[in-house]
Order: sequence, then structure tokens, then C-alpha cells
Amino acid sequence: MKAGDRLIGSSAEVRIKRRSSPCVLLVLIAFCFSACSRPAQTTGELRVTIKSDPKTFNPLMAEDDSSDIVRYLTGGVLIRVNRKTQENQPELATSWTIDENGRRITLNLRPGIKFSDGTDFTAEDAVATLKAALDPNLHSPKGDAFRAGGAATVEAHRKDKISIEFEHPIAGLERLFDEIAISPSRMAGKADSSVVLGPFSVGEQKAGEYVLLRRNPYYWKRDDSGHQLPYLNAVRLYVLSNRDTELIRFRQGDIQLINSMSPDLYEQLHSEDASAARDLGPSVEPEELWFNEVRKSPLPEYKKNWLRSRNFRRAMSMAINRADLARVALRGHATPSIGIVSPANRFWFNQNLQPTPYDPNGALELLKQDGFRKDGDVLKDKAGHPVSFSLITNAGNKPRERMGSLVQQDLQQIGITVNFIPLDFPSIIERVTRTFNYDAVLLGFTNVDLDPNAQMNVWLSSADLHEWNPAQKIPETQWEAEIDKYMRAQASTLDRKQRKLAFDRVQEIAAEESPTIHLVDKNALVAVSPRVKNADPVVLTPQTYWNIEYLSLGK
Amino acid sequence: MSLRAIGRQLITVLLTALIGGLLGATLVRFAPGFGAQESDLNAQLSAEARQALHEQDARERNVLSYYAHYLGQLAHGDFGYSRSLNRPVVELLRDRVPETLYSIAIGVGGGWLLGLTLALPATWKQSPLYSTTAALITGVFLCIPSAVLALLFLVVGSPGRIAIALIVFPKVFRFSRNLLIKTYALPHVLTAKARGLSGLRILGWHVFPNIAAPMLALAGVTVSLALGAAIPVEVVCDYPGLGQLAWRAALARDVPVLVNLTLVIALVTVAANSFSDLLTPSATRDVL
Repeated sequence: MKAGDRLIGSSAEVRIKRRSSPCVLLVLIAFCFSACSRPAQTTGELRVTIKSDPKTFNPLMAEDDSSDIVRYLTGGVLIRVNRKTQENQPELATSWTIDENGRRITLNLRPGIKFSDGTDFTAEDAVATLKAALDPNLHSPKGDAFRAGGAATVEAHRKDKISIEFEHPIAGLERLFDEIAISPSRMAGKADSSVVLGPFSVGEQKAGEYVLLRRNPYYWKRDDSGHQLPYLNAVRLYVLSNRDTELIRFRQGDIQLINSMSPDLYEQLHSEDASAARDLGPSVEPEELWFNEVRKSPLPEYKKNWLRSRNFRRAMSMAINRADLARVALRGHATPSIGIVSPANRFWFNQNLQPTPYDPNGALELLKQDGFRKDGDVLKDKAGHPVSFSLITNAGNKPRERMGSLVQQDLQQIGITVNFIPLDFPSIIERVTRTFNYDAVLLGFTNVDLDPNAQMNVWLSSADLHEWNPAQKIPETQWEAEIDKYMRAQASTLDRKQRKLAFDRVQEIAAEESPTIHLVDKNALVAVSPRVKNADPVVLTPQTYWNIEYLSLGK
Repeated sequence: MSLRAIGRQLITVLLTALIGGLLGATLVRFAPGFGAQESDLNAQLSAEARQALHEQDARERNVLSYYAHYLGQLAHGDFGYSRSLNRPVVELLRDRVPETLYSIAIGVGGGWLLGLTLALPATWKQSPLYSTTAALITGVFLCIPSAVLALLFLVVGSPGRIAIALIVFPKVFRFSRNLLIKTYALPHVLTAKARGLSGLRILGWHVFPNIAAPMLALAGVTVSLALGAAIPVEVVCDYPGLGQLAWRAALARDVPVLVNLTLVIALVTVAANSFSDLLTPSATRDVL
């Protein structure tokens, strides 16, 4: 989940344009100080930003975005999900086999690898790290998906071969290793990313300011000409929560890459330097809206009946002009969603789904089937209640706030009054996950893992993140029972085609029932300084430096 | 000033800070979204992992027992633990206090330099054009929020901290100009002028001794003013000081961090104002 961009910087910027006379004086004063403020650019040190201080440098405990970025840049993993091809590729494990019907994986380890402190990497290190990840007392977020396989036995067979055997099979098991950074056995469970197998190690931190990652002199990868990677001497992760400031510093050359930009900031940069601003097309970050379908919610009964009606939800989906949302709210840097999976997720996207048409008249026809009728300009239910609901979203995210306003206008066309209320993020979470005191919510999500197994917590009706009606003891509707069946089916077979068929069906049911109305898939908008060589941005996180070991800095 | 007056001020400072801390904790506890974390919507985490992340919330639900426990810990030098930043609060404060002190130093130093540099000629020349221009400039800076000023400096690649100095300087200018004009009109200063003493000598020997106490009192006020301005400036410019910490802690409803920050900021502000009160002769309070 992405918190919204902060409003303070943006609103301040609007004021700059309006106050021209004090600006002249300020600019003069500011220029007097400017010479002493700009830090010199160090050759070989890439500078990028993170939104907050990493909560932890223990790669097994990384849960927030910043810790996860440090984990990615420092951690050596057995198998890597290639962010460009979206396929699994060998890293510290040269090969692997899965047998016992998906309950056991055996990995052959790459020989001659050393940690960043010069000590040898052995099977013991991999075993100790995996055991720590599986330890229920550690509560490792990275081990959660492994623990879904029940009790597990991790064994080293030789110096260069290990195996893990689970109680139950885990579909798509290999991709889980992408999240597990191997640490020395002596540090397993309490590692701090200072001794690593990845291209960089944590060198220094100044809280609230930066984290400095230093080149791992023993990193095992070499380029085609045999030159040891990474090319960069260091990566400095500046802690910057203000996106406007990030862009200012990018323009000043203090920062060389930006992983994610709002459409407004992207347009600003594009107008100045079209080569630096890149629109990579649809990302895996959908913007979606859902209605509160929780039976025990404090909403009035008649409203619960609306929100739990398939026809009502389908009508709302048809009455929203997605193309306008993409064009106006996101300045054309988004694609109308077709379903719950973005086309950027190449394998799992259901190609057979058809986009929901924008059809206000069709929406009214559907509503008529449930007894709704227009009374002048107002839509009323069969008991005569005017149809009105509140739509909440997180304040400060300008594109999302514009989307909310557009949704409000679209639904007004069919006689529905939408009270659009931006709230701060903790309040939204509280309403959506605890008090259930809301009608509808508009939020954006980031799908870090492309595999549907990563979404079991969302799609199973018993899951506590089953957004519209969480933690059901038994499925409350037939279609949710069906989704449960297909999600479990895709999770219980290793046959990728069978899994795809099952998840395609989930996508079809979700499109028919519209428990979540996927509006648009935001485009991945990034910035790359011309100084950065070998940059090949992709839509998956970390977009601009997923191939960090190959990046270098020119003059 | 008597020891009794100082003692009374110390008690006031301490009580205000303690009440401020309790109010801070209460406000955070009853703020919408208390206990909600972004990880609550992280589909990658299991219910158990999310539960583990919420263990500390339970201890903060009862404000009074939390605050009593906190004060008990504080007496032993334990400032608590930040759940949103996953670090002991004392470490967070230790890392960030120097940054904020630096911001305050730039703000107070720059504000005084600029204020006095403009106030002295205004007193000596008493030119209507100069006075109007100076009043206009100070008026402009009094109107613009410190965050906007900071952003402007950022845009041109300069340190945003200068904004704090520009917030402080109008106060210094207006107060010191008024005080200087009043002091230069005192009979003994006029006599010194009539006797042909140099301007510097008059300032050093006849004016400065008269204005030292109220100016020192103003120093206290400008410290609290600079601290107030430093908070939004640090947020906008992402300076790793107490302001930035307060903003992030507020977004995360991080009670231990916010209670400590409320105490620290309340202590500094009330202490600065008390210092100012103690030094200000009653006649100059109106000017302040």
C-alpha cells in the first residue's frame, strides 16, 4: 500500500507562483547562500532516495519499503526473480529441483563464493538463514510464505547442496527465495546487512539523512569481459519523504534515479528534460474502489443491502468513466483496468477478459433490476431512500483526490450523491480493517509479488485482508466460495498451466461480481539521469536500479 | 530577581512540560487511526506477523497508566521505544537534537544579524523612506509561512534553514528599532550626543547598558520562535531534526516519540519564555 504524497510541498509550490514580488528578494538572498550549500558529486557514488529511515537492516525482518530496498541492494539470494523477464534466474543456487509433489526443493549452491568480509559462503549459511526465516518465534515477514507449507526440514547435504522439505506443497516455491537474503550462519536471524553476499553492504547511516551502501569487494558476479561487478563504489540512499524535494534535487544533479513519480511531477520533468523522464507503461499498481460488505458494519440495513448487491456494484463500475480517470486524473499516464490483474503481470493476466464499458444507461438498467428508480435527478431505492454514500481516500495524493472528484461527477450523472472525503492514512486503515465504518474506499496497491499465491490473504473469504468483507467464518456468498475453491486449487498444484486456468477463473468471477472495482493501472513513471549508464528501467520494484550491479556513472 | 521567583518559574516550566506531555499522549491516543499501521494492509504478511507488529499498541491504549509508566521509566533515563521507527527514543533524540539546534542557531543568529543591521540605521537616520521600506520587508516576511520560504530556498538550491532567520528577523527588527528609538531619546543619551561623543561610544556606553536586559529577554522569545519555525522547515526540506521526527511520528501515531517530543519542545519553549519574563523589566513587556 502506498501512502499518499504529502500535500505540504505541493500546496506551497502553488503559492510560489502567486507571490512574485517577495520571490525576487528571496531568490537574491538565496543565491548568496547557494554556493556553500551544494555538495560535491562523488564519482562512482549513485544517489537515490528512500521515503523513510529503514526500520531494520535485518533482511529477514524487512517489512517497510525502505528496509526492503536495502535488503534488495545488499542481499545475496539463492534464486532471483528477474525484474525484466519476470522469470526465476539462478543466483547463489546454480540449479534446483522440486520433487515429492512440490514438498521438497533441492538447491545446488554456487562454489567459491565469499561474503563481503572475505569469509566463505557454505551450505551451513543457507541452512541457518532458512531455519531462521522459518522460526515462528522470529515472526519474519519474509518467512511467512514459507511457513504456509507447514513444518519444514532444512538440511545441508554437502558443502554445496541443501534441501528443504515441507509438510504441504507450495506452488511457485522458487520465487519465495527472491526475498531471502542469505547471511553468515553466525548472524542468522540477527543479521544487519553489514556482511552480505549482494553487491553492496551497509556502511554507514545518519538517521533521517542517508544510508550509505559500500561496494562488496568479494561480490561474485562478473560482466561479459570478466570485470568484477558492481561498477559503482557506493550507493547513497537519501531519506527524503517529500516528492517535490526529490525532483528538485534530481534537477540539481544530487540524485540520479527516481523510482516512482506522480503524473504531475513527471510532466514537470518531461517538459524540461524529456530524455530523463520515462513512462514505462502500465505498472502493477492498480487504483481500486470497493464497497463495505461487512454484515456487522455500523451502516444502516438499507445501505448494506445496496452495497452487497451485485447489480449495484456492477452498475457503479459501468457508470465510472475509466478513460477519463486515466486522461484527467493521471494526466494520461495510466491505462483503464480490465480486471484485478494488470497486463504488466505478463503470465497471470487473463487475456480473455473484456474491459467494462462506460455505460451510464446500462448502469441505470441494472439498478432498475434491484428496484432503484430515478425521481427527478435523484436515484432512490425501492424504499424511497435517496442513493448517497461516502467515498474515502487518503488525503494528500493529488491524482487520487482528482479521481475521487471524477467518480463523484460520474455517479452524479445517474442520480447518486457521493460525499468524497480524503482522510489521513491511519484513519482509513482503522475504518477499513477495524471499525468498518465506511461506505466505499478508493485506494492504490502495489503488487510486489506477481504470483497469485501472494494474494491468498486477499482473495480467500476467511482472510483478514479480504478487503470488502474480511475474516468470514464460512463464505457468505456462492461466488466467494467459488473464488476460495479456485484460489486453493491454484495453490495446490505445481502445474503452471493448471494454476493459470484456476486463477483465470478467479479473475472472471471478480469481473462478474465486482467486489473491487479496478479503475486504472497507473503507468510506471521514473526518472533517469543521463549520467547513469546501463539503466534499463522496468515496471517492477526497484524500477530503476533492479540491475544495480551493472549501473555506472558517467561524467 | 529573587531566588523565589526563579524557583517559581522552574516549577511552572516543569509542570507545564509534564501537563503538555500528558495532553500530547492523550491527543495521540484518541486521534483517529491510533494503532493502525500501513502493514495492516500488507497482503504479504500473515495475520500472526501483523499481530506481532501490534503488540506495543496494547500498552499504549490506557493513557494514564502508559504515562505513569513512562514517567517511571523516564526517571531511570529510559525514554521508551519507537514502534514506527523501530529504535529507542533516546537514540532518535540524540541523533536529531544537533540538527535542530543547528537550525535554531542559524535562525536566531541570522535573524538577529539581519534585524539589528536594519534597525540601527533606522534609528540613526529616521528616514521615512527607509522606515517604510524596512516595515514593508518585515511585513512580507511576517506574512509568508516558514514552510513556503523554505521551499523557495530549496528551489534555488539554497539551505532552507535561512527561512528560519527570515521568520525571526522581523521580530528582532521591530522590537530593537522601537527600543533603540526610545533609548536614543533618553536625556542622558541626548546629553552625550550634545557633548559630541562618537556614535559608537554612545551605543556602547550609553545605549547598550539600557537595552541589554530587554534584548536578552527577546533572545529567549526568538529561540522559541525559531524552534516553532524549524519544525515545518525541517519537514519541507527533509532535515533530519526534531521537526521531521515529529511529523513522521504524528503520521504513525507513535505515542512514545510524540510524548517525548512534546516534553522537549514544551520545556524549551516554556523555559525560553520564562527566561524572557525574568529578564524583562515590566516597562518593556508592552514592546515585546
